[in-house]
Amino acid sequence: MTELRLEGVTYEYPAGVRALDGVDLVIPAGGSLALIGANGSGKTTLARHLDGLLRPTHGRVLIDGEDAATFSVARLAAKVGICFQQPDRQIFQRVVRGEVEFGARRLGASEEEAFARAKEALEAVGLADDLGRHPDDLGETRRKLLTIASVLAMRTSVVVLDEPTTGLDAHGAGRIGGIIRALHEEGRSVVGISHDIRFVAETFDRVVLLDRGRVVLDGTPAEVFAERAWPRLRASGLEPPHAAITGARLGLGSTPTEADVVAALLDREASAVR
Amino acid sequence: MLKLQGVSYRYPGGAHETLHAVTLELAEGTITGLAGAAEAGKSTLCLVAGGLAPRVIGGTIVGDITLDGTDVTSWPMHHLAEHVVTSLQEPAGQLSLIADTVFDEVAFGPANLGLPPEEVVARSDEALHLVGIEDLRERDPERLSGGQQQLVVMAGLLAMRPRHLILDEPVAHLDAAGSRLVLEAITAIATAGTAVLMAEQRSEALATVCDSVAVVAGGNIVARGSPREVLAHPATIAFGIEELPEERLRRRLSKAGLDPDVVAAAT
Amino acid sequence: MSRIATPSAGGPTAWHDLDPLTRLVVSVGTLVAAVLLTGVVCLLLLTLVAVLLPAALARQLRRVLVTGLLLALPLALSVIIVNVLFSIEGTVVASLGPLEITEEGIALAAEVVARVLTMAGAAVLFYVTTRPSELVASLQHHGVSARLTFVIHNGVAMIPRLAERAHEVTAAQRARGLDTEGNWLRRGRGVVAVAAPTVLSAVRETEMRTLALETRGFTRPGRPTVLRVPHDSSTQRVARWGVALALVLLTLARATGALPC
Repeated sequence: MTELRLEGVTYEYPAGVRALDGVDLVIPAGGSLALIGANGSGKTTLARHLDGLLRPTHGRVLIDGEDAATFSVARLAAKVGICFQQPDRQIFQRVVRGEVEFGARRLGASEEEAFARAKEALEAVGLADDLGRHPDDLGETRRKLLTIASVLAMRTSVVVLDEPTTGLDAHGAGRIGGIIRALHEEGRSVVGISHDIRFVAETFDRVVLLDRGRVVLDGTPAEVFAERAWPRLRASGLEPPHAAITGARLGLGSTPTEADVVAALLDREASAVR
Repeated sequence: MLKLQGVSYRYPGGAHETLHAVTLELAEGTITGLAGAAEAGKSTLCLVAGGLAPRVIGGTIVGDITLDGTDVTSWPMHHLAEHVVTSLQEPAGQLSLIADTVFDEVAFGPANLGLPPEEVVARSDEALHLVGIEDLRERDPERLSGGQQQLVVMAGLLAMRPRHLILDEPVAHLDAAGSRLVLEAITAIATAGTAVLMAEQRSEALATVCDSVAVVAGGNIVARGSPREVLAHPATIAFGIEELPEERLRRRLSKAGLDPDVVAAAT
Repeated sequence: MSRIATPSAGGPTAWHDLDPLTRLVVSVGTLVAAVLLTGVVCLLLLTLVAVLLPAALARQLRRVLVTGLLLALPLALSVIIVNVLFSIEGTVVASLGPLEITEEGIALAAEVVARVLTMAGAAVLFYVTTRPSELVASLQHHGVSARLTFVIHNGVAMIPRLAERAHEVTAAQRARGLDTEGNWLRRGRGVVAVAAPTVLSAVRETEMRTLALETRGFTRPGRPTVLRVPHDSSTQRVARWGVALALVLLTLARATGALPC
């Protein structure tokens, strides 16, 4: 499995605007990390450095200790698969099967292997019955799930998902959460960009807050959504998860998810009884 | 008041109806929410209520649509547009691309109506003010953030002084800051007297601004009521609607044998 | 994210001050004249008068020359190859193995290149000195129908958007392992993977834009209010009709063989 390391990564646009400003970040093998931040904070820019689509203006990106600059994007894509936000800017095959197999085939999988992976990936996102359909016949939600299936079929050791739950309803979002947890259990690294704070708190082990190209918070959900971090979150235009706010009001310590609130209350009851 | 009575709609070439006998009323000054799973028919209902279906999209429609009692099903689009306007899903795709500045973009609608130049300018200024984007007046609309573009689109629609505004997922693709701006603008718009219909995936957004919520499932309206009633009802989860955070917590507390009202005490 | 520059209007010059319709007529007129005229000399004269002079007036000479050349070069090169190496019988000037280069071939190639350069120059001149918004305002002011205006405008405005979209799509496909850094054969295979979503999503966006425009009364019959009225004048009106007349005369002269050029 793959370790990604950003060392002092700065990315400047020609006009001089810094989308990333001295970012130091380690994504260990098998890590599960969410990137949060307001629009324009650099989340997508950072993600694109992970497979070489963007190259740093200063600093470097290391993939398993080697400088990513020495590899082409096509080579890096074998280790780091990124699923972009807009399905319509990606889907081009006329059959769902072909679309899901595309990435896998590009990376060298045989026809049989690619087909097997495609079936598995479609199963995971809940589109198993749509194998032979035309992508245009799928609604927006299922097209989104299709793009996610396509990156899953690439079986990369790092999977990056840019806003995977945007536009999905509750069922769809729940599915994505399950997929991310499953990938994590397989030992793959998952990086998620999301502005759905509740989803982030429930799904990832680590949360990184970006603000104007800089890492300003990096820790577990319990750390990043603890009350002392709220001013920092709010200064970056974000709100803490509702569960964290409720937990703080009830004096339960840091409770980023509802499960944490429940657990803390049960603990309190148990100790009250004692 | 815009009223749909027993309206069914089938897309051109559609094998079956996407909307079945929908009845809906939009009263001025109110915000009605539409909740429902993906592909339940929310967007279709927005297109039908705004008149874009069947006029521009085609398809067949059955039922009554009236404006203050007058049947509007035979009105051409540009006539209906003076009373009902619709905002579709992605703000960037709704910009006219004809305008160099936000002001020109907002003026596009009233200019199309052939109003005298002073009137066009006045309405545009008013709309910019109502939505709170006067500071964006001279900016290039294509270079704004998603949230700002959504506000520009809304201002552009408001400049037509419609009495009804239909919004299809206005905050779905926005971050927290953008959502806040847009929801505040929607509230201001309704306070000024416009009837708003808002389809949204995000239940919190609906709970924040709506006076009432209708649940769409399989092309039918299956539930109606205040946001709290509807969005907190156990059945709505079955319809694929996102649970409100408080309700989800209450449910989990009950399941764990704890007192769900502990939450209310904390708020 | 980097953006392909939309046509800037440049500074306020005499050319920029003209009604966009006038600028459009000059550019289109030049395009048509370039088709009707023959002979390198006449074409270069046309370019000088109708493209380079206005470009200089508009202080965009360098840009028009460079962009025009870039645009025309691939086509011009292919024309040269085909016409010079493969065509006309006549006075052989040199030979390249079995292929013969004739005087007539060279002359024809030179003419076609001059024509392509003129047309490219005329198109670029209009594009870099006219903003879509002012063109639309002018067309609406002169009573062109809303739908036609939209079609013309959408075509122009979509160019930078298409380019940007293609860039996005390419990034998404590269992230899935599409190799765009390899040899040309590899790159060729990737064309569909980039072209299809680019075009399709652009079409979808145009469809949505149509709905958005309709809900804002775009198709209302009658003239819309134009806030920024173009600077038209009777001189310009005469000039526009003059260009139209000149084209008619040119066509007649060409048809009757009376054209010296």
